Amino acid sequence: MSGYYTPEEAQDIFLKANEAYAREDYAAAKEGYEKLLSNGQGGPDVLYNLGTTHLAQGDLGRAVLALEQARKAGGVAPDLEANLALARARQVDKVVGATAEDAFLPRLAAATDGPVVAWTFLGTWVAAFALVLLWRVLAPGRRTTVGILAVLLFAIAVPSGLLVATHAYVGATVHEAVVLAPTLVARELPQAGARSIFEVHAGLKVRLLEETGRFVRIRLPNGLEGWAERDGVAGI
Amino acid sequence: MRRTGSALGVVFAVFALLATAPAWAASDDLDFYQTVDREEVGTEDTFRLTVVVVDAPSNAQVKVPESDDFAILSSSRSSQRSISLSGGGPAVIQDVTRQVLTMQAKRPGRLKIPPSEITVRGKTYRTQPVELTVRAGRVGGPPASAQSGRGRQPDPFSSLQSQMQQMEEAFGDMMEPDRPTIPRGDSDLFLRASLDRDTVYVGEQVTLSLYIYSRVDLSSVDAVTMPKLEGFWTEEVESPTQLSGEQRVVDGIPYRAYLLRRRAIFPVKSGTLAITPAEADITTGFLFAGHRVHRVSNPLKVKVKPLPPGGPKDLPNAHVGSWRLSMDVSQTQVELGQPVTVKVTLEGVGNVKNVTPPTLKGPAALKIYEPTTSDKVSQQRHRVQGRRVMEYLVMPQRTGSFTLPPLEFTYFDPRARKYEVARTDPVTLTVEAGAGGASSLSAGTSQGSTDAANEQKNVLTAGGLRPVRYQAKFAAPGVPVWQRGFFVPVLLAPLGLLLGVALLGGVRGRMALRTEAGRGRQQAKAARKRLADAEKLQSGSNVGAFYGEVEKALHGFLEARLGMPVVGLTREALAERLTASGADAERRGKVLFVLEACDFGRYGGGGDPAERQKVMDAAAAAMEGWA
Repeated sequence: MSGYYTPEEAQDIFLKANEAYAREDYAAAKEGYEKLLSNGQGGPDVLYNLGTTHLAQGDLGRAVLALEQARKAGGVAPDLEANLALARARQVDKVVGATAEDAFLPRLAAATDGPVVAWTFLGTWVAAFALVLLWRVLAPGRRTTVGILAVLLFAIAVPSGLLVATHAYVGATVHEAVVLAPTLVARELPQAGARSIFEVHAGLKVRLLEETGRFVRIRLPNGLEGWAERDGVAGI
Repeated sequence: MRRTGSALGVVFAVFALLATAPAWAASDDLDFYQTVDREEVGTEDTFRLTVVVVDAPSNAQVKVPESDDFAILSSSRSSQRSISLSGGGPAVIQDVTRQVLTMQAKRPGRLKIPPSEITVRGKTYRTQPVELTVRAGRVGGPPASAQSGRGRQPDPFSSLQSQMQQMEEAFGDMMEPDRPTIPRGDSDLFLRASLDRDTVYVGEQVTLSLYIYSRVDLSSVDAVTMPKLEGFWTEEVESPTQLSGEQRVVDGIPYRAYLLRRRAIFPVKSGTLAITPAEADITTGFLFAGHRVHRVSNPLKVKVKPLPPGGPKDLPNAHVGSWRLSMDVSQTQVELGQPVTVKVTLEGVGNVKNVTPPTLKGPAALKIYEPTTSDKVSQQRHRVQGRRVMEYLVMPQRTGSFTLPPLEFTYFDPRARKYEVARTDPVTLTVEAGAGGASSLSAGTSQGSTDAANEQKNVLTAGGLRPVRYQAKFAAPGVPVWQRGFFVPVLLAPLGLLLGVALLGGVRGRMALRTEAGRGRQQAKAARKRLADAEKLQSGSNVGAFYGEVEKALHGFLEARLGMPVVGLTREALAERLTASGADAERRGKVLFVLEACDFGRYGGGGDPAERQKVMDAAAAAMEGWA
């Protein structure tokens, strides 16, 4: 990996940040982790540690944000899920009511692993076409096995290709965010003086629907929607 | 020794007494109050209400309180007159009348004893009402009914005995049991040591008092040497910093008695214990007229009885008196990791500082640390009493329900002359998992973690913040695979390749048709395909069609290879052409064989499947390897 820091330097910064965390110097720990992230040498481990540091410090919003980013970057892990659960348990907000059903495609994307699907698709796609070419070259009596293998690979490649398309679509259209502000007011209209509908607090995961000016329209997991200050949330 | 007093003083005192005798008659300032000996009693206990009136006329009648909630079991009345001569001023006469009611509550609750009343010269005085907490059954104390064992009904005789005892206690500090003898030679000023009793049990309190009896004016007491109290544990009860005398008459002679020291002493061994005399240096007179004298008190002896048999072995001698044991827990429901404070309190009358409360023990799941001990000692009627508190820190080691067993404290009650046991109730502690802890630990194991399983467990509760990671793979912010630059080219490359191959094949086909050799190869390829079609007819019933197809395929192949039409050529002409084109004898033979077989087959022969297969193989062999 080539980056701003050499691997040794990055490791040194990481370890020093960990030592700062161990002696409860959370400010120094955060500075170390953020230095790595800002120079393109982050990754799920650094994000996890940053989120854990925020959580230990009591900054619930940034803790959930970093942990969610760690999960997005590296997938689920037991320690990550435990700290996320702890952060959720500390949240002020309790979203009640029936959970609004996501559309099929976002749910499908959430249920499958994007990189795995993408690599599966590419592999089977290329291999299937290679077998087709081989099939053409072979004499009529020797084509059967190659033909069957090609069909099987196409049977995998086509659905995985559709899944890749789903991930690409969801990634381009669905934007999740975390509330950072201790208290964020959701209003009826994207205006500062508009009627307040509800309040959310740090750490709550919301969906960003649209943006206008300094307001974004957020949607809660139960479907509640309102316009909130853009600065009060951060995209995952 | 020089006498420092004079008969003139006595005359003056008597005169002053006569002059002030009717002083109370003109006074409206009446001291009138009532007290109870306990604030908490049981319905089976008796208690005493003392109504005191000071300086009341002799004809004044005290109206004792009447209430439906209390029964008056007995009543007694006593009066005391004291005459004080101090500082050469007029004598002060004080009449104190006490009426002691032995009462019993009829029901439990917070009850109020109404005020007592007295009417003096048409004016009615009332005391304050007294509130009592009454509980069902017995609370403690030495009720006569408990000693007689007759349950709720009080025994009138034992009640009388109790009343006498109570009277003795009530007036113990006022009724001076000491009868000093005037020593020869020191009759004006002598030191007197006295005991409130001379026969006690081991561990029972004796009160030692040291007085100066004087008929002369005292200036100061310069030094006091208390007796050597070997065989006793001592506790200071009273040590006045100023001389304050009271009038006493000894053998008809009035004296001023000054208390120097009063100590509670607890014998630690049985037998007759001697108390050596005390000594004091006393200065008499005023200013330059005074002088210093040395006085030695009388020696004393105490007969100490051993504790009667029937008690526990090795009972400490401090475990004598009247004690009550209690156990208080700061909380009975606690989270794992949170400490619980358990206070074991032993309170009562006796040698508080030497008494040892029972040790708190519990199941292994509760770690009990060494206690801290605190004492609160006080005196009431010269009796040492108080409480000793042992405060334990108990740290639960695992979740579950655990019981602190009851505690017992055995002591000898010298008043009842028997051994008693003070007990506490067991206390159950419920230990739950802490916040964020695994709920299954508390819910699932609560049954199994009771006292039955007392083995030590290392409790590992899930929850809490997971630690940071100490190894990291550093990576730039992830870009989805489908957004990376190679994805679309790799996706489209196979399609393009296939398309390219197809196009190339088409182009090559078109190019091949433009040359003789190319056309030959195309014809040869078509001939091979025709032979493959003929294979399908091999097993059919139309023998002629099979042979016709084989012949056409072979003719097509030969035309492609020889570059000329071969239909119509004789077998010899065909053999020559084949020879000329380089075909070897074997290939030529197979070609001719196949053509002969096809001619034969088309006209009715060659129906045998084996024959057809042979022709098919020969045709394929003739085409094989001929570029």
